[in-house]
This record gives sequence, C-alpha cells and structure tokens, in this order.
Amino acid sequence: MSFRKRNIGVSSGVDRTPVPNSSTQPQTATQSAPSTPGVRPSPDDGRPTTSTGSPSLDNLLAGHGGMPIGKLLLLEENGTTDFAGALLRYYAAEGVVQDQKVHVIGMPEQWGRSLPGLIGPAESADEKSDRRKSERMKIAWRYERLGEFGAGVAGARAPAGGTGDQVSSTDSSQPTQPAFCHAFDLTKRLTHPSIGNMSYIPIRPSNEPLLVSIQKKLEAAIASSPPNTVHRIVIPSFLNPTLYPPEVSQPENVLPFLHSLRALMSRPASRITAMITLPLSLFPRSSGLVRWMEILSDGVIELCPFPHSADALSTSGAATSHEEPPQGMLKTHRLPVLHERGGGSDQNIGQDWAFTLSRRKFEIKPFSLPPAEGDQEAQDNARSDKMPKKADLEF
Amino acid sequence: MPSQLALPHLLTPYVVSPPKSSLTVVSSVLGATGNWLVLRFLYAALGNSPVSHPGYGDPEFETRKKRRVVLVSFLRGWEFWRSEAKRLGLDLARLTEKRQFAFVDGLSELFSAPSASSQPAPKPQHYPGAGIAPRATLPIRSQPVPTLLRQPLPASSGSDGASPQTVREPGPTKRLHFAGSGLAALDTIEKEITMVIDELKTSGPGEDEDEPEILLVIDQPDFLLAATGLSKGIGATEMGEWVMGLQQAVSATIAMISADSPLIHNGSTFAHQAATPLDTEHAAFAVGLAHRAEMIMQLRNLETGAARDVSGVLRVSKGGAWGQREGAAENWEEKEVLYFVQRDGSVNVFGRGE
Repeated sequence: MSFRKRNIGVSSGVDRTPVPNSSTQPQTATQSAPSTPGVRPSPDDGRPTTSTGSPSLDNLLAGHGGMPIGKLLLLEENGTTDFAGALLRYYAAEGVVQDQKVHVIGMPEQWGRSLPGLIGPAESADEKSDRRKSERMKIAWRYERLGEFGAGVAGARAPAGGTGDQVSSTDSSQPTQPAFCHAFDLTKRLTHPSIGNMSYIPIRPSNEPLLVSIQKKLEAAIASSPPNTVHRIVIPSFLNPTLYPPEVSQPENVLPFLHSLRALMSRPASRITAMITLPLSLFPRSSGLVRWMEILSDGVIELCPFPHSADALSTSGAATSHEEPPQGMLKTHRLPVLHERGGGSDQNIGQDWAFTLSRRKFEIKPFSLPPAEGDQEAQDNARSDKMPKKADLEF
Repeated sequence: MPSQLALPHLLTPYVVSPPKSSLTVVSSVLGATGNWLVLRFLYAALGNSPVSHPGYGDPEFETRKKRRVVLVSFLRGWEFWRSEAKRLGLDLARLTEKRQFAFVDGLSELFSAPSASSQPAPKPQHYPGAGIAPRATLPIRSQPVPTLLRQPLPASSGSDGASPQTVREPGPTKRLHFAGSGLAALDTIEKEITMVIDELKTSGPGEDEDEPEILLVIDQPDFLLAATGLSKGIGATEMGEWVMGLQQAVSATIAMISADSPLIHNGSTFAHQAATPLDTEHAAFAVGLAHRAEMIMQLRNLETGAARDVSGVLRVSKGGAWGQREGAAENWEEKEVLYFVQRDGSVNVFGRGE
C-alpha cells in the first residue's frame, strides 16, 4: 500500500521527532505559518503559538513556549484576590503590543486603559541584549545541571525557541527579530498606538439571551476584520454576579456559549486565542457546571493565593531569604494540546507550583516548603535533595 | 521502546471488533482524556495492517473483515481527529473518500443558526471544505459565503497529488444543529446521524457482500445533556433512549462520557453539597449507560499524583449487560493497567510495576 507508507513518512518527519531535534522543526513549521509578529511555531510540534504576556506562564504550557493558537485557557482563582486578573491584563497588553485584535467581553473601556505599561523599548532592548548573553551561558549551564528539567523553560525567552546556539544564529541573521513576549509594569499605564483598536463587548440587556448576543457580536467582529488578524478574546471574571445577570450562570446558557466559542476558535481559518477568569469562591470546582466548563476549555489553571496571615510563615523559610516569598499556589489541571492527546508526558506535570506577582512580572516557579527552622537534619537533606530547588531555576 | 505498535498488545483484545449490538462505554476525567483510546478503536476497525488477535466479542469471527465507522464528535472538530489519526497512519480524509468512514460534526454549528447553504445538502460531496472562510452565522452574511466555498480549493489541500479532483479535504460530512427543544430536537439529531449511517451502509465500493458492519463512536453525548438540561425537556431518560435509538441502526456502539467525581457523586444522596439538576441527570445518564454496556473502560488519573512516565490508569470492567448475549464466548478479562501517551502520539500500556 503506497499511500500508507507515505503517511508514515510524513508523520514521522513532522510529528514523531522528539524535542531535542528542535533545530530542524521550527524551520519546517515557519513556512506554514507566515511571519506574523507575536506568532511563532511551537518548539514541540511546530503549531503556531502566541505569548500570554508573562514568560513564566508561557513556559508552563506543555513545552509549546506559548499559547497554541485556537486554544482556550481557563484561569480559576480562589478567594477575593485578583491575581488571575493581572495575568489577564498581561495577556491583553501583549496582544495590544503585538498588533493583535483584542476583544474584551463584559468590561468597560476603562479596563483597557488600565493595562500595564510596556517597559520602555530602549530600556528593554538594553536589558535584553545583556540578558541574552548571560542567558546563553545559563541555558547551557542549566541543561548540564538539570538535564531534562529545564527543557520547557528554555524555549520561552529565546525568540526562536530551542537551544543556545540557535539563539546566536538568529541573532546574527535577523538582528531585528520582533520580540515574542514583552515585559510590562503593572504600576504604569500602557500607551500604544493600537490600544484604540481594542474592541469591547459590553453586557447589555437585549431581547435575546445575553450570551447568545455576545457570541453574535464576537463573531461579527471577528468576521469583519482582515483575514490574517490574530485575535485575543478576554473574558474577565466570567459569570461574576456583579457583572452578569444571574440567569446567565445556568448550564443551558453557559455551556452552549463556551461550546460555540470553541467552535469559533477551531475553525481552520481563524487565529484566535482566549483567556477566561472565573471566581472559584462563587462557582466551586466541585460543582458539575464548573467541571463542564473545564472540560470545554483546553487549559485549566487554578490559583490558590495564600491567606494573608501566611506571609509571615512563608518569609521565614530559609531557602527564600533572598527572594520574594510566594503569594500562592498554582495548580495545572489541564494543559492545552497535551491533555487533548491523552496527557502525561510533560515535565511540568505533577509539580507543585507557586506564584509571585511583583510589579514587573508574574512568576511561576516550583514550590518547595522550606525545612522547619532548627531542624538541621531536614535542612541537610533538603540540600542534597535531587529535586531542583528554586535557587537553581532563579536567575 | 516496544511502543511503536499502533495497538499495544495489552490493549488489543479490548478494542478489536466489539460484539454485535453491544455498547462499550469509555469514561474519562478532566486530566485523563479518552481521545487516544477512541483513536485506537478507529485504528482497530479501519487500519489496514492485519490485527492478529481475535476480537473480544467473536473469537472465531474473522477480524479482517472491513468495518465502517461513523464518528460523532460533540467536543472536537474534524481538524483534531484528522491530524491525530494521521499520527497513527490512518488517513481519515482518504477513508471518507472510500466510504469507509464518516465524520459527523457536532461542534461547528451545534448551537448556531444553520447557514443557508448547509441545510439542503445530504451528500458529503456538497461540502468541499471544512469552512475555509470563517462562516458567519449572521443571516446577512450567509448569502455570499457559499459561492466562496464552492470554488476549488488551493493546491495545498490536495495532500497526495494522486487524484487532485477527488482528494479535496472532505471535511465533516454532516454538521449537527440543535434547534427547538425536547424530544423533537433530539430526534432531528438522531435522524441526521442515522442518515449518515444509512448512506455509509448502502454505498459500498462495488462489492456485493452482505451489509457492512458499522461501528458508531459517539464522542461525549453527555455534553448534549449538560448543555440543554431539563429546562429544554431533555433528561437522562431521553438521552438514554437517544443512544438506544442510534444503537439500533449500527452493529456496535462506543460512547465516550465524562465521569469526573462532581458529575457522578454529587447526584448521590450522600453528597455533601446540594446537587444541581445537571449533576443528577448526568449521573443518571452515565450510570444508565454503564448498566447497558457490555464493557466499560474507565480512564482516570493516578491516585498517587501525577508521574512523568504515566498518563493515567485504564480499568476495563464488565458492564451491566455483560454475559446476557447468547452464545457469548468472552475472551477478555477485567483488568487494570497503566498507560502512557508519548509526545509522538504512541501509547504504552503496561501493568503496575512492569
């Protein structure tokens, strides 16, 4: 059977190549994805990805170094804090900077005006070239030190994704390679020419169900934009009763909406990513509705901020004296693409993650409880532990 | 690694030729999805490498006999199934051309108003593309779109170049729409699916053998229940009958459902929190299907936490209808194994500690 053999050839060429051979993969994939700023092929399987605006979240997404186009990420947050909202702002700001079309659902235009400011181009360029030089050494050092563990982390900051020498080759050949991910400052306000380009879909009562009308407006907005535009759909605190009328959170309203959103995003010609935040205190994970919303999403990430009183406890940790204490735990319940295929083979799976939000970045790193003070034996054990600790990953 | 086989040995007896008029339930949870297992079922039925193991239903039955498969997917689009099957060496687009496979798209337009072009077109040939241009569902835009779609596709879609006329991306043959409420809406969907099944039955590739066996795979019918609910007059009973109705049209059925604990346990009277209608109906539907199934394959996460070389646990157990068939010689046993889906899409299935 001739066609069968050819098929095997194709799939083994593109898909079966394991990650280490990534030097050839991005090149083949670049042809299929024309160079759009802010979109790059995944180092894992070459599908186009775009940045979430925070490098450490990009790293978390199952080795793709970014958010695969056509995927929907659900960010859930416990408690009354708004860490997920900060991630969402980074995501929207990144879209604005990359000239992508950002659709904000349920928020007034003030939301768009409060996006975090881009850290100045000159400043970031300087920082970047410095950082890149030292990074190259660090990547090599980290590979040596950590083996496989750093693989997912390495792809993200280097623009072409991959190993250290690849970074140097892109440096020489394309000196003006546009950045994949930018740095933002939460205390500043974003001023960018394309910020007026954001579209807002307000929650307004109409004679058809609310989510149906939102869906229609969204489809109209996407259909009316030029074909190659990359879209970002941003839905801050979905179903929050201060924004949405109560009947919206009925399953027969929410689930068809998410299903249609999924259908819209999975159309072959569309280039859409979406991020939704959901307040878990109002909609607990143990309810069937939220579980269905999770099943309908491609990625599910839960943020569990520490209660405020835990600050003292976490600062006392010996290992963290020189860095900021984590502000909460982060759980990955589902990752885009990986879990759709069956899940499992990612190095990041099964890690306990902690997050720290500072003025300039949202950082996600492996969480390890420091040994209890005075417990000398445990401290020694922890030092000789095989698991890479925060200190190894932090630089 | 011994994983290069598309069908791992341990898995073969369970996925090859399910017995006649049987129902197999595959249950999955959030972190352990069953798409890879569905693909294995497709491969066992459609793959053209000989499967040496006798099927779990009919041991002496000749397993080489070609089956035809209808895949109804509510959560995932054609693009996903096509590309994932390709990793197994299964060209679904070509199999659709050869009338061995049909895809029913329950994702694209399930809840959006059907565009004018998609209504009177029972034959798949009238659907050249899987929505090349973003199909607007607004009535004002639906007029110009069909002319766009009828145009010949760019050369990139002729994947093999062997027959550029026919090897167009066939795309989903049928798109389901949910309209109205209650049994009428379910009946419409059932009719549309049986229409595809009948079409596949009758249009043989020229051989005058007896009626081909059709394997029906339904990806997450429980979504239909969750998204409509009692307010639209659809409950567990109606959904159960809906699956039953489809079962009658085919020789074997595989249903993939979600079995996350909130969806199953909230419905019980011992649950800590008050169950919503969604929870109780889902539990009733899932348990009802399990009672009618001959075999249940449950996928779940590893209890001891995630591991780097294990994707999850697969438990195969007897369903409520096991052993009720006359003359059934069951040659499979209940088993619990671990599985690992690798990055390239191949699957390792192994016992604990192996």
